[in-house]
Amino acid sequence: MIPQLVTVRFTRPRGRPVRIWIPVLLVVLVGAPILILAVLAGIVACLVYGIAVARALAGAWRLACALRGTRFDLAHGSTSVLVSIR
Amino acid sequence: MNEDRKSILSLLAEGKITADEAERLITALERGRPAAAPSAETLPKGKAKYLRVMVDAREDGEPSRVNVRVPLQLLRAGVKLAALLPPPALNRANAELAKSGWPIDLTQLKPEQLEELIDHLHDVTVEVDDPAGTVRVFCE
Repeated sequence: MIPQLVTVRFTRPRGRPVRIWIPVLLVVLVGAPILILAVLAGIVACLVYGIAVARALAGAWRLACALRGTRFDLAHGSTSVLVSIR
Repeated sequence: MNEDRKSILSLLAEGKITADEAERLITALERGRPAAAPSAETLPKGKAKYLRVMVDAREDGEPSRVNVRVPLQLLRAGVKLAALLPPPALNRANAELAKSGWPIDLTQLKPEQLEELIDHLHDVTVEVDDPAGTVRVFCE
């Protein structure tokens, strides 16, 4: 299953923390036309460079599904950025 | 008392920040502090799911922290995707690597070998302790 939610949190010095929740499914639905174009462009690129299209699509899908559980938490002083994919 | 809290209190004592700011910083510190990383001895022996990279350091007198968790499944998926690269692309990558002083032949790297490498990652723990900071790489 692809990730459902991406959480992004920024904390700036002398500022309140900003937390953004991005529902992946909604973004995929809204961006579907661009996504379809991107997939088509990818297929054309695979055909041009002699890469197996089905295997490439399966690999990309597996990569997207494997993103769940990824977490980046970077902080320096009172500034921090957190990206969590669930 | 830990170093971060001490630096905040000394900033307050020097009058560089207000009491409100100090309180906010301490709260952020407590909230943002990751749970203590398990030591190599206490790590569960089951199948590892994540690769963790934790760095604690001080830069320009301020504490810096990096806490990254990457699913091992993502590494496996990346290896499978990289296996699709056509030989001409690998040859070009080899040439660039050789130019940069890394004479590695990527065409000799088989996905099965990389998978095996990932499977054995849970046995790996890298710990670097330095006065400037600590680095821990392990699987959990």
